[in-house]
Amino acid sequence: MAIIEVKNVRKHFGKTKAVNDVSFEVNKGRIFGLLGPNGAGKTTTIRMINYILSPDSGEITINGNVASPETQKVIGYMPEERGLYKKMKVFDQLMYLTQLKGMDSKKAKEAINYWLDRFDASDWKQKEISELSKGMSQKIQFIATIAHEPDIYIFDEPFSGLDPINSETLKEIIIELRDQGKTVLFSTHRMEQVEQMCDDICLFNQGQAVLTGNLREIKASFGKNTINLEFDGDGSFLDTLEDVRINNRSTNFAEIRVLNGQNMQDILKLAMDHAEIHKFERIEPSLTEIFISTVGEDNIKKAEIQ
Amino acid sequence: MSFQKIWLVLKREYLTRVKSKSFILVTALTPLAFVAFIAIIVFISISETEVEKQIGIHDETGVLVERLIELNQTRYLDVSSEPVDSLRSDVLDGDLDGFIVLTDSVLVQGKSPTLVHGGSGGISFISAIRGDLRDAVREAQLERANVSQEVRDIFETRTGLEAIKLTEEGEAEDNTIVASLLGFILGLMIFFGIFFYGAWLMRSVIEEKTNRVLEVIASSVKPIELMFGKLFGVLSIALTQFVIWIVLYSGISIAAAPIAGMIMEAQMNSIPGGASEAASTFDPSTLNNFVVEPVIFVYFILFFLLGFLIYSAIFAAIGAAVETEQDSQQFMLPVGLPIFAGYMLNTKVMEAPDSTLSTFVSLFPLTAPINMISRIASTSVPLWQIILSVILMIFTFLGTMWLAAKIYRVGILMYGKKPSFKELAKWVKQG
Repeated sequence: MAIIEVKNVRKHFGKTKAVNDVSFEVNKGRIFGLLGPNGAGKTTTIRMINYILSPDSGEITINGNVASPETQKVIGYMPEERGLYKKMKVFDQLMYLTQLKGMDSKKAKEAINYWLDRFDASDWKQKEISELSKGMSQKIQFIATIAHEPDIYIFDEPFSGLDPINSETLKEIIIELRDQGKTVLFSTHRMEQVEQMCDDICLFNQGQAVLTGNLREIKASFGKNTINLEFDGDGSFLDTLEDVRINNRSTNFAEIRVLNGQNMQDILKLAMDHAEIHKFERIEPSLTEIFISTVGEDNIKKAEIQ
Repeated sequence: MSFQKIWLVLKREYLTRVKSKSFILVTALTPLAFVAFIAIIVFISISETEVEKQIGIHDETGVLVERLIELNQTRYLDVSSEPVDSLRSDVLDGDLDGFIVLTDSVLVQGKSPTLVHGGSGGISFISAIRGDLRDAVREAQLERANVSQEVRDIFETRTGLEAIKLTEEGEAEDNTIVASLLGFILGLMIFFGIFFYGAWLMRSVIEEKTNRVLEVIASSVKPIELMFGKLFGVLSIALTQFVIWIVLYSGISIAAAPIAGMIMEAQMNSIPGGASEAASTFDPSTLNNFVVEPVIFVYFILFFLLGFLIYSAIFAAIGAAVETEQDSQQFMLPVGLPIFAGYMLNTKVMEAPDSTLSTFVSLFPLTAPINMISRIASTSVPLWQIILSVILMIFTFLGTMWLAAKIYRVGILMYGKKPSFKELAKWVKQG
């Protein structure tokens, strides 16, 4: 069942249509990915779900209730622009932020102690944030997001600026939360993270949701129209191919999207004439490829998508 | 609006600051700095600032020069024996600062003599010489006219003026000077208070913005709740500080007279000889002039509170609109202008607290916090004026609050470029 429902939502800033008639649903107990290049309207949508901004028209409901200070309490939000009070002690800071979310002080204290313990951070309780390393303060930021035990977790570009260890920890936490029946929504412009973690996705481009649904179903619907090719030798023959789109190319690897129903065996033959083939595999397209073929090559800033 | 959340924000703002070292230092050092500041002003105003210059007197009358030297031995020098030409070269060489030739016509026809100088000692120096000359000439004229001692005594009389203030409780010894000084100081404290704590609030908002903690907060609290929480948090800090100072001041001023009296009594007993002299030069009861009526402090707190509310919301909005303190400068100037005008005009208010100008600036809501308290402390302001100025200030602060809340709401999520006034106006429409 839908725990977050976004219905025909619009938000304009002056002449910019940041979000233009967007609808999607996030189901309980799922990991939902909001994808798209920078400036596609993801952060604006997330801010509206968090009741930081209000939509110009349309409606956002959380558990059936229109977004309000009450719905804010059931959401844990980690914005892209992250930060904490530099001159405040870790424990006081967490108490403040958790109580602002409506938790009473006794419960907040228990929860904070639990999470500090869990992250091996109990020793930092009385330290100011400015004394901590970047990785440490990132951990404190997670705790600030999750300590009030919300049902919904929203992370805006959570992996940007994270060190590899914390990145891995966050991934584990996200999956662990889902397994506990919580709902996670996160936005990213890095497609491979979505492929690894998301159950459902919504693709954003220029303020509009261009594709929504279950990730596996979406991929299956595109069919096995892509070739994963691993080879040894001169790769220049790839340039002579017509009616293909090569997305992920290196000296001995290429992901080839076959267009116009071209015969894949012909490509294999051509490849065998020019190089030694280690692997030839028909696969479903990558999300990057799905995004490009949905939006159209001309309508995206290619550098934004990886 | 959730008061519980406002309370949480207020509590954080208050506790983190009050516990800080800078708060304790400011609380302790400001009264000392203030005393030093006042002491310097008093010292400058009472000390003789001019350098004593020497004026040669070429006296042809034979009766004036002794009188002048009698009046001021270091200032005047008898040079009647030297020719005027050599006096000129003395002045040019710097041996003399100036000279005056006094002829009989000065005495007989009342002609004004001329001071020839190589650089005057300023207006006050010249008027001092003029006063000396007048006295000397008049004395000589009186003597020449063979006027009786009685008439001379009449000319010697200098009538002073004692002032007594009539209040409900009866006649009280006048303390106009102390009262207007108090009025000025209270106005000054409100001026500094609004600026200091307003800037404090602004910095606190900018800090949340640059720390990037604002969006986390905004996902829990409405911007208006956050703004109110911070505003009243800083206000509570200010009030804490003022109450500490007021209690301290009242305690000292009330205790000063009895303690001074006791010390003097003790001295009197130990040194029987010099006691009468000490007692005659200083009366400890004059210290009671410095005891301030509690009602004035009540007004002080009220006007500070209203003034702070009017300005601080704007300061908070500026903080939300910019990202660094440097960027805030362009907005600080127009906001600071009226309050600065109030401060500058306060000397006028002190000189004539009942003038039309004083009445106007004490009613005009942007200057009233400073100028009205000065008037209240130094004269008796009609109650209707006080009430009117309070009402005007309340409406003004509702207005600035409304405006600021809109700018604040949009501003806290804006990063990147520094907005212009035009954009701020757009935010207000948007909010």
